[in-house]
Amino acid sequence: MSIAAETKQQVAEIGEKYKYGFVTDIEMDMAPRGLSEDTVRFISAKKGEPEWMLEWRLGAFRRWLTMKEPNWARVHYPKIDYQNAFYYAAPKNTPLKQSLDEVDPKLLETYKKLGIPLHEQMALAGVAVDAVFDSVSVATTFKEKLNEAGVIFCPISEAIRDYPDLVKQYLGSVVPVTDNFFATLNAAVFSDGTFVYVPKGVRCPMELSTYFRINASETGQFERTIIIADEGSYVSYLEGCTAPKRDENQLHAAVVELVALDNAEIKYSTVQNWYPGDENGLGGIFNFVTKRGDCRGKKSKISWTQVETGSAITWKYPSCILRGDESVGEFYSIAIANNYQQADTGTKMIHLGANTRSRIISKGISAGKAQNTYRGLVSVYGKAKNARNYTQCDSLLIGGDCGAHTVPYIESRNPTARIEHEATTSKIAEDQLFYCLQRGIPQDEAVSLIVNGFCREVLQQLPMEFAVEAQKLVGISLEGSVG
Amino acid sequence: MTGITALGLPEARRNEAAAVFRARGVPHRRVEEWKYSDLKSALGEAGIGAGQADLRISHLPSGVETFDLAGPNPPDWVREYFGLASRNVMSAASLSLSAGGTAFRVPRGLAVAEPLKFEFTGSGHVRGLVVLEDGASLTLVEGVTVDKFRNAGLEIVLGEAARLDHVRVSPNAGDAVLVEEVSVRIAQGGQYRAHFAAFGSKLSRMEVEIALEGEGAEAHLSGVALLDGKRHSDVTTHVIHRTVGTRSTQLFKHVAGGHAKAVYQGKVTVAKGANGSDSNQSAKALLLGENAEADLKPELEIFADDVKCAHGAAVGDLDAESLFYLRARGIPEAEARGLLLQAFLEDAVAEIPNTDLRELVRTELLTALKALV
Repeated sequence: MSIAAETKQQVAEIGEKYKYGFVTDIEMDMAPRGLSEDTVRFISAKKGEPEWMLEWRLGAFRRWLTMKEPNWARVHYPKIDYQNAFYYAAPKNTPLKQSLDEVDPKLLETYKKLGIPLHEQMALAGVAVDAVFDSVSVATTFKEKLNEAGVIFCPISEAIRDYPDLVKQYLGSVVPVTDNFFATLNAAVFSDGTFVYVPKGVRCPMELSTYFRINASETGQFERTIIIADEGSYVSYLEGCTAPKRDENQLHAAVVELVALDNAEIKYSTVQNWYPGDENGLGGIFNFVTKRGDCRGKKSKISWTQVETGSAITWKYPSCILRGDESVGEFYSIAIANNYQQADTGTKMIHLGANTRSRIISKGISAGKAQNTYRGLVSVYGKAKNARNYTQCDSLLIGGDCGAHTVPYIESRNPTARIEHEATTSKIAEDQLFYCLQRGIPQDEAVSLIVNGFCREVLQQLPMEFAVEAQKLVGISLEGSVG
Repeated sequence: MTGITALGLPEARRNEAAAVFRARGVPHRRVEEWKYSDLKSALGEAGIGAGQADLRISHLPSGVETFDLAGPNPPDWVREYFGLASRNVMSAASLSLSAGGTAFRVPRGLAVAEPLKFEFTGSGHVRGLVVLEDGASLTLVEGVTVDKFRNAGLEIVLGEAARLDHVRVSPNAGDAVLVEEVSVRIAQGGQYRAHFAAFGSKLSRMEVEIALEGEGAEAHLSGVALLDGKRHSDVTTHVIHRTVGTRSTQLFKHVAGGHAKAVYQGKVTVAKGANGSDSNQSAKALLLGENAEADLKPELEIFADDVKCAHGAAVGDLDAESLFYLRARGIPEAEARGLLLQAFLEDAVAEIPNTDLRELVRTELLTALKALV
């Protein structure tokens, strides 16, 4: 079956409903509503954290109190009442499991609906999954195989307990505690996330993946992810997201820190299809994410690939600091905004080292009444001799009520640097559509086909497991946008 | 403020401008649009003051009417158009603080062959107004005299099928802080062509806002900057396609040596329903010095789907292969570099429609290039 036909079928199955809009009824262990030092202490105590970690959180919280919410992005949303949310929710009964059999069957059922068959994945795909259900990681697989290779892949709360020195060394070293309003909030209240350490010279034997899911009503989720690739190592990390249907807007403020040492490479892929709100703009996730990679070592490489189809608001700029000489940064992005979605996303490439290279390919698609903004910075510092950047950002508009915007900043302070930037904006060409229709391809399928073609350069960058899902998502997200 | 009071303009326009400036103050690098041009620190403690600069006419072709903005009893066309655009902060400052300046009008259907030559002079604030009625055409040659600080606001109103060619040459102005805001409104079928040649100063900013208000209105902007030493030049443009079938092009070429800083910020907005808009933006910069800096920000803001909008931007140095080609033919390095720079800038200079003016800009560039390489 062609992708387009498959998309159609999938859409038909869903009907008008968001596929993942269900709630699993599991007893929650909640922090009291609101945000204060007590909340921070509660979370820290719940996680059984050492004193230094609590102090770090409290420092962040006190700093956060002095900060203002940023308003420069092209996104509009009702004021968030930070005192009217829950900052911690964990499924009850969470002693560490030895095997999947011990996991609450209701949870496993939830994942099944989400399309994450743990057992199947173990057998077929060779993917280790660290599944985050709300805030606590409940199942981790393939631990042994990774252990053999010496790779640490665990919930960050476990890492704080078991590898405090590594955590202390890297936590906040890429995204400082005081970086921005949302990152600081995350530092104070993060409840879980993933920690990955790949030792020297090790090529991680499998793709690592984590599924995030927001479940309980009115709980924000604040993950913190740290991935460290030591000298000469390689790791590919996949992140996928879905959330159940809710009318209240839910806040999500994650922080991801990547560190690549000499000759190391990190590939970080995201498919984000959180609840975008309904066709009237009601509900949906507010997604304020700080993702940054530090190419600390010589010849290191960090590559971000993202497919952003969900969330009512997306505020996200995965960036690379190209510190090491000859380091490479890449950013491949597809951002789709439909109905009343607002996406303001892009990247920063900061060239500090000599012979550093970066490449940015961004594809933005707007439909309905959505606003889609690419916002990016390429900055070459004085010492970045022979730095190179190539940026291409294309926007596709579907319908006359949406908006597509491009805000690139280009700064060069070195005469040997070469920076190129190109951007185009267009709509689906009539001749392309006509060509498809003429050959008996229905309109919806034709749109899906053309849009997938428009995004192809980025889709190709995704690991195979994601590429298929992502192609389907592209079709589903734009369902009904051409009439 | 006597001038504006004397005009008998609705008090609201002046008050509005004063309120805008009061609310925002002198811009500095923490203000996003002024990120690369820190006016506040360039001015230091002196601030923008309330001094009065002047507009001096060096050649007034016959057929062009003028009005001294400081004088009494303004004609209807001045009442109608003066002081309507005060959107950006420095334009608001000049509108609320300036007492004088000059207004020009070319009556309906008149094609003025000779260029109108004028320059802003002195230190302080000043305003200018140029009105071309339906079907009129004019060439405007703007010179810049060097002074400590000047904030000039120039409003241009083009009627249906009116055509204005505007060439501005801003010489190396040393320690001067020069800010100019040009605001252009173009009616159906009107055409505005502008070329800005800049040789920089301690801080120079040319901010242009163009509203393509009538069907088929066009704006074509081009410019060159050639900077050395510690000079700075900032061209900031905002072209707004308000209606169907409007066109705009922009082509800017900047060269910075020494510790110089060349800035281009260009924003194109296509309003909802402005279908068939066509916009192209190209900005390129060459850095010659280890400590030179180029900043480019080509921005698109699009609310209509049936449009063709593209922008390109690039920063680099002279092409090594081209240089080698010339060297291999016995051309000395300095000369070869000069030739390549000249070629780099030429595309933008070629956009100037008037032959004499094009030659004038070329000559200025050649002189400056000799000093640079």
